[in-house]
Amino acid sequence: MIQLFFNHPLGRTITVFSLICTSILLLAILLSPILVPLILSFALYAILEPLSEALERQGFSRSASSLTVLLLLVSIATMIISVLLPHLATQLSTLQSQLPGVWQSMMSMGNELFNSLGIDISTSSITQHFFTQANDWGSTAVIQGSNILISLTVFLIFVPIITFFLVRDYHSFRNYMLDKLPNSNFEMGWLIYHRVAHQLQEYIRGIMIQSSIMCVMTSIGFYIIGLDSPFLLGATAGVLNLIPYVGPLLATVLPILMAVSEVPIELWLIGSAISVILIAQIIDSMIVIPSVIANAVNLHPLIVIMGIIVFGNLFGFIGMVIATPTLSTANIIYRGLYQGIKTRCDLKIEHTTEN
Amino acid sequence: MNFKQPLWQNLFRPKDDRISEVTEMWMSTPLFEKIPRKECRELVKTMHPRHYKKGEKIFSSGEIGASVVLIRSGGVEIIAAEKLLAELCPADFFGEVALILDEPRTADAIATEESELIFFLRSDLEEWVKRSPRSGAQFMLNIAVVLAARLRHTNILLSLQNS
Repeated sequence: MIQLFFNHPLGRTITVFSLICTSILLLAILLSPILVPLILSFALYAILEPLSEALERQGFSRSASSLTVLLLLVSIATMIISVLLPHLATQLSTLQSQLPGVWQSMMSMGNELFNSLGIDISTSSITQHFFTQANDWGSTAVIQGSNILISLTVFLIFVPIITFFLVRDYHSFRNYMLDKLPNSNFEMGWLIYHRVAHQLQEYIRGIMIQSSIMCVMTSIGFYIIGLDSPFLLGATAGVLNLIPYVGPLLATVLPILMAVSEVPIELWLIGSAISVILIAQIIDSMIVIPSVIANAVNLHPLIVIMGIIVFGNLFGFIGMVIATPTLSTANIIYRGLYQGIKTRCDLKIEHTTEN
Repeated sequence: MNFKQPLWQNLFRPKDDRISEVTEMWMSTPLFEKIPRKECRELVKTMHPRHYKKGEKIFSSGEIGASVVLIRSGGVEIIAAEKLLAELCPADFFGEVALILDEPRTADAIATEESELIFFLRSDLEEWVKRSPRSGAQFMLNIAVVLAARLRHTNILLSLQNS
């Protein structure tokens, strides 16, 4: 029975695939303290690699082009630290101070609604408990947001250094590692690697462009309608857009809460905030996604959503962001392995039959 | 202090004498005709040398191919449908169709003696074409010439068989 399982192409593929997954998981556990900067550096490498290649085409050496890319990255990082980050931090603290007002405003809205329906539950302990709990969650989220901003500042120092070495040496290192494959699996290994690398690069570049466009569109929209902290809300919408399907839904919550917090409640502001998000989502779905990340991930939406929930539960926000590319990579590796192993098994059967 | 082996040298960098020799071999093939030697040399640095024992299979018919192979030393037999198609020696190349098509190989390649083969992968070719579009276009033209010559040769053989 066991012999039959290992002789079957599917059995062999599952065994090899499980071994690869286990090795990657062990490596991820080993590298867990630096996993987030590493993921960020690889994402930046995927974006900056074409720039480095363009510089090489202009006659720059690999080291010179990598150094130029590093300088560009450091300039952008410096600009973010000196200009955007303090501004975002101010907006974050404003948001933190506004949160009690938001909940208070929601409570009065709830009371008015129930009173108009003739139900007197304004002093209900359940409602009170819910809003107190929600306020605590909101405050915790804001404090965690502040911590993320601090970690981001640390990453902005280390990530460019890792990215520089990736841009300069990644190709040599990759060749060195893949050349260790046995002769019989050399071409198959390269084929699978090339497909994975191509799809991941497409996805990372696409999702980064999509998030940036979303961030700019919503920031401008919130600024025009006069919503408080428009750039922070826009940046949040952009970051949440990194999570497929679930992210855009989460991105609507904060702007609507901000609009609700206005005293007296302005219904047009709530409507405008929803409209900004809806228009941005429509442009995103109709123009941005088809042109920048179409076909980058060939996965069923249900698998993606389940993956996001499971990865989010296991690794938090980063898990939700990396769920889709990880599933896509696993899918390509599995298909590549199955194709290669099945061909080998078919050839072996043909050979045995001929003999 | 030994400056020939600096501490920060690139450990993955191939040795220069091998690169020069392989560059000359590729330059003598029709694939690298009219391609600047400097470009070819840079490309050779990204290629993959591999060693095969006598009788070891390099690839089989039906497997997906991903590279063209140059023989640096040793020998290779190309066999299709149990017929010997070619016996190749150093500086010969084979498997160039895989640079264009993501399709299964149509013949078996077996090392007839201890051999060192240089693999030039399709992914490396694609990266090179992006980096140097002019030379890349020339290389594609050269492949087209090689494949057209092979097609012509096969047509002549078929017509001779039929007549």
